Amino acid sequence: MKVLDANKLSDLAAALAAAGYRVVAPVRDGREIRVQEWKPGAAIDTSAVPVNSIKEFLFPRCEVIARYRLEGDDFSPEPVATDAPKTAALAVRPCDAAAMVILDKVFNPGTAGVPWPDGWEYKDDAWNARREATTIVPVVCTAADQDCFCTSVGGAPDATAGADAVLRSADGGRKFILQPLGPKGQALVAAAGAVLAEGDAKADPPAQVPVRFDAKAVTEWCGGNFESPLWREVSLACIGCGACAYCCPTCHCFDIQDEATRTESVRLRNWDTCGLSLFTLHSSGHNPRPDQASRWRQRVMHKFSYFVEKFGSLACTGCGRCARLCPGGMAIAQVCKEIDEARKAAVK
Amino acid sequence: MEIAEALRADAARLLAEGRAKLVIGYQARGPHRAPAFISDPAKVNVLVYDNLCKQNLAVYLRKPEVRLKGPVAIVATPAVMRSLMVLAAESQLTEATVLAVGKDAYHGVLDLAGAAALLKEKYADLAPEPELLEALAKLNALSPEARARFWTGQFAKCTRCYACRAACPGCYCQRCIVEKNVPQWVSAAAAQHGNYAWHVIRAFHQAGRCTLCGACEAACPQGIPLMLLNLALSEEVAKRFGEKPGYDPAAKPVVGSWKPDDDQGFIR
Repeated sequence: MKVLDANKLSDLAAALAAAGYRVVAPVRDGREIRVQEWKPGAAIDTSAVPVNSIKEFLFPRCEVIARYRLEGDDFSPEPVATDAPKTAALAVRPCDAAAMVILDKVFNPGTAGVPWPDGWEYKDDAWNARREATTIVPVVCTAADQDCFCTSVGGAPDATAGADAVLRSADGGRKFILQPLGPKGQALVAAAGAVLAEGDAKADPPAQVPVRFDAKAVTEWCGGNFESPLWREVSLACIGCGACAYCCPTCHCFDIQDEATRTESVRLRNWDTCGLSLFTLHSSGHNPRPDQASRWRQRVMHKFSYFVEKFGSLACTGCGRCARLCPGGMAIAQVCKEIDEARKAAVK
Repeated sequence: MEIAEALRADAARLLAEGRAKLVIGYQARGPHRAPAFISDPAKVNVLVYDNLCKQNLAVYLRKPEVRLKGPVAIVATPAVMRSLMVLAAESQLTEATVLAVGKDAYHGVLDLAGAAALLKEKYADLAPEPELLEALAKLNALSPEARARFWTGQFAKCTRCYACRAACPGCYCQRCIVEKNVPQWVSAAAAQHGNYAWHVIRAFHQAGRCTLCGACEAACPQGIPLMLLNLALSEEVAKRFGEKPGYDPAAKPVVGSWKPDDDQGFIR
């Protein structure tokens, strides 16, 4: 098996960078650990879940999708090339890798193993170009915090969904085992070259992540409780920002805006979120989701009901970022637990 | 836990007597402190108070779903009470019931005037943390180009989630300038031009109103040091107008008022 010393992750990053990969990895940035483009000298830090997911490297916060020139009455579109560099997402989280499979269902339906739901005809060229160019190498979690809940939504700290290769902590944290799981992973191992040694090591046990709620029960309850007073109660603490959606590895809503001068126009795709009031505001002034209760309902419903119905899986991987970062101290796992309990109480 | 016990007793009493129908305080959620919304006097035991209770709860006073459950009593640190003074000065509230907590002390149930008196008597000398003052001094010592580089790097992290706005009791506009989209006044793109515009506008709209409670920076999921911007403007306001917002519920807003002896040195 391929092994490397635990303190040599940066050497692996350097070898991959030298082999032509853009390496994105968790690096400490002030108080935060952030997944960012790795630069020589940066230490890769796997000690906690980073504040951002790897989503933004495949689906950027803001992206130019079209350009036009306007001269007099002439209107001429200009080509926009998708920026899709060969990328290695190194030492990221299994819950992030799993999220990419969920996003494939939205952005690349109809491909091998991904169903093509009725009425869903969307293929996202930019996503697919970057997805193709990206090799995802999560590190198995050997520690979890109180906000982690991957096991409640069908994941695991050592899950390999969406992973092209996997890093496992070994020999009590002194080493990593790098195991390729497919052709992209094998290419990455080959590109790493001599940084990886052939050797033996004993994988450390993955973290223990307790199951906190019954996701199937949540899905079932959501189906019949659109008007439940519970939404209003559980969302009282919500202050109405987009922190939860933007740190979420699976949230994928966007807005399209044109930014134009007299002579040129750029069409942008910007992240957007159901947490903000403007998201559903009609031009008439009517807002079908007039309060945070209805916006929170949408957040839970989309992840645990609508997505399941349309695409056959949950749209949550239990990374817990939304709970760690919520300025109002909210946690979706807590809300799901309350739903689970409400359902049990109703059954009695 | 003496403070928490006193809080629970007063919260239960206010609810039982009907002086409040909702008490907003803090509860523990694992390592976090989350707001607690209590309507039932039997449930006040979830209330906690310790130095992790940093969220500015005054932000909930404007939330329609919360107001519907009122009248509200709110657990208020000096920072929260200062926010209430600004809201009162700006005609956003006329009265308040606060369960006043201070540094290692519980000051009981106060109304707006009582909170103002307490602030003046015991918390008049609230000052920013030395680390923050030092960080701003360091930043101010840089050349304008170097400062611009610093902020470009910081703003590059911004996802435009507007947690800074949502966490701030002073950001209560029903429709924020970034939501004015016919036409779009401020680029919604989480890119340099839009992010710069947003952060400068947010900071400017706080000039003379910000109480330096730190809620915006604490809320920022990206760790952008917004307090440096807030403090820079606060220092400017203090220097030019001699104002320290958040003590006088009848104060005239610094930017919205004019005095003949205002510093006019900036007019050239």
